[in-house]
Amino acid sequence: MGIRLPQFRRFGTRLLLLVAGVVAAAQITDYALVTRANRRNAVDRIHENLEKGAKLFTRRVDSRLQELSGRAALMSDDYSIRQLFLTDEPDAATVRSALRSYSVRMGVPFMTLLSPDGTRIGDTGGALPVAALKPFQSLVEEAAAADDPKAKGFARLPPSGPAGTLYALLVVPIYAPKPEIVAWIGLAFPIDHAFATDLKADAQLEVTFYYGASADMLPVESTLPEGTASHVQASSLDLGIVNAEAGGQTYVTAYRPLLPLITPGHAAIALQRSLRAELAPSLPLEHFLLILLIASLAAAAVVAAVLSRNLSRPLRALAAHTQVIARGDYATRLKLGRADEIGQLAGAFNRMSEGLAERDRVRDLLDKNVSPEVAAQLMRDGGALGGEEREVTVLFVDLRSFTRLSESLPPREVLSLLNRYFDRMSGIVEIYHGIVDKYIGDAIMAIFGAPVAQHGHADNAILAALEMQSALARLNAELATEGRAKLSFGIGINTARIIAGNIGSSRRLNYSVVGDGVNVAARLQDLTRMSQFRADILASASTMNAAKRAYRVRNLGAAPVRGRDEPVEVFAVEAVE
Amino acid sequence: MNRLLAAALLAATALCAHAAGIVRVVTKDASGNPVADAVAYAVALDGTPQVHPPSKPVAIVQKDQEFQTYVTPVVVGTRVVFPNKDNVQHHVYSVSPAKKFEIPLYIGESSASILFDRPGPVTLGCNIHDWMVAYVFVLSTPYFAKTGTDGVADISGLPQGRYRLEVWHPRLAAKVERELVVAESGDSTQVVSVTLRPDRRIRRAPDAGGADYK
Repeated sequence: MGIRLPQFRRFGTRLLLLVAGVVAAAQITDYALVTRANRRNAVDRIHENLEKGAKLFTRRVDSRLQELSGRAALMSDDYSIRQLFLTDEPDAATVRSALRSYSVRMGVPFMTLLSPDGTRIGDTGGALPVAALKPFQSLVEEAAAADDPKAKGFARLPPSGPAGTLYALLVVPIYAPKPEIVAWIGLAFPIDHAFATDLKADAQLEVTFYYGASADMLPVESTLPEGTASHVQASSLDLGIVNAEAGGQTYVTAYRPLLPLITPGHAAIALQRSLRAELAPSLPLEHFLLILLIASLAAAAVVAAVLSRNLSRPLRALAAHTQVIARGDYATRLKLGRADEIGQLAGAFNRMSEGLAERDRVRDLLDKNVSPEVAAQLMRDGGALGGEEREVTVLFVDLRSFTRLSESLPPREVLSLLNRYFDRMSGIVEIYHGIVDKYIGDAIMAIFGAPVAQHGHADNAILAALEMQSALARLNAELATEGRAKLSFGIGINTARIIAGNIGSSRRLNYSVVGDGVNVAARLQDLTRMSQFRADILASASTMNAAKRAYRVRNLGAAPVRGRDEPVEVFAVEAVE
Repeated sequence: MNRLLAAALLAATALCAHAAGIVRVVTKDASGNPVADAVAYAVALDGTPQVHPPSKPVAIVQKDQEFQTYVTPVVVGTRVVFPNKDNVQHHVYSVSPAKKFEIPLYIGESSASILFDRPGPVTLGCNIHDWMVAYVFVLSTPYFAKTGTDGVADISGLPQGRYRLEVWHPRLAAKVERELVVAESGDSTQVVSVTLRPDRRIRRAPDAGGADYK
């Protein structure tokens, strides 16, 4: 499955998106992992603390009861309390005052004295001992049957009604002496706000005590702000550690039932820690990470922009340079001043320019040495040897009595005159789609119909010859004004099948034609010297036959051609018909 | 002459009265072990035999900071003294319904003799030595005996008749009673099963000082 990435016009955009994307992905992942880890750690810590808190609560209650039990044991073993039992019917007032005195010694809010069968002997007075009587009695029953004659439990006193407090209750025996139990002391201490606050201070947890006559429990005491603790179902106690909402915050909460509960209903303690409070220390780090995320994204954007500019500018310069080269300016060099791959590319461009310039020079040179068509074919074929057989028209034009002329002029002037003449004549050859094969001394050999094939090669040759005649006349007129002797020439034209191709060695080539037909053309040109013909242009019958246009010609009959057995029919071409 | 005759008659009566025999009570606890310091007694169902408290007071000695007798059965009206053979003072007391008393700290022989005038168990303690505990079991029947370490008590001198046999022990968990018919002739043996509560007496620590408070 291939993903097609969107393409952008600007490399910079792509780079920016890529860099920004990678940085963003890394930072966001980082941020997400850190925040997740923080939250998980916070929750784990809270779980640990809740476990500890629950244990701490149990230990506190137990240790307080233990302490009370110890004090009660001291008291009950003491002679002083036995005095109350030395009379058959201790009077109620004395018992009450004694118990009040003892309750102060013990530091408990109230105290009740019960006989072994559970009847009340006396108490410190008030509603609480009365409310606590039945719970104490059930504890006495339990304690009497136990191995260690003590019993404890929780109770809500008074058991019913709107206002009540949770108490931890304890009964301890009065011995006279051990192991004879003569009476039981019932003690209690309140699970009140002070208790909750103490627990909170030690455990660093919010503490709420719940009580309900039914399964729906209401908060009785809480360290949470007023009104935030909400009611709880007894069934929630089985859920383990849960998240609870209170006062708009999430608290990780552990509920523990207060057991055993001697009065009817359900009682529980909730230990809670605010998730937000637990996370608070790590928030600065998270904020810092967030800032870092944004900052690094910005930095990445800037870096990407700079980087892309660093790349796209030289690339644009390179692109612009190709235009320069395309225009044919091979002389301008691109200077980027870089050592990296872009710099190397610029260097390559420059070398390419050099190469192109060199090729241009060669081409130019080639063009000057051979006709553009041959040059093109050479460039194309790469100078391969071998040729092709085709029908072409060969034209030779030779200056008569040039030697005489050359004797009378300094060499430089001779060359200049020659080149001037060649220039005119070569131009005409090219106009008529022929190519100048070579210059042989003062003669020009031209080919019509190669290397580029032409249908009217014969006509082109003839027309070219006639045009050359006119051109010569014009040149002679110029020469006359310069005070020079005039020139005269002879042209021989033959059409035949020859072999055309690059002739020479692999190191030095010349596009030319070979064949008998070439020879004939040369001989015809020779024949123009024969004054009896009175012709400057002689064409063979094959040329005339190949020509499609009509010309005014004189049939000069068959002439013998050196190097050939059969004579060639010769025509003197005078003009276009 | 008359006095001699009266004495002989008394003796004969007495002999007649004692002629009925011995009831041997064998006690066993839940594991089948003998129960020491149990008081087996027979309450007459027909009539009320007279009890005769001894003329001299019964002594429960305190020595080595212990009561030397763990269980002392006496009849109603018996006087008990508590001689202190230690070189420290003791403060004997009881808050039991059958007798509430205290003899404040004293040493040596105390002049105080306590009259036990109501039937029932009386638990004795010492106010300053928490481990000291002993029992006086006050009976309203003259027919009783205390088991030894072998768990056997022989109640002698039972006249013919119907009785209710009961057994008491300081750690008695459930009342033990059964009907007993003493026949004309012979002795009988009663095997009694007694359920006891665990022994929770304080172990007194070695002389280092404090007792082992639970």
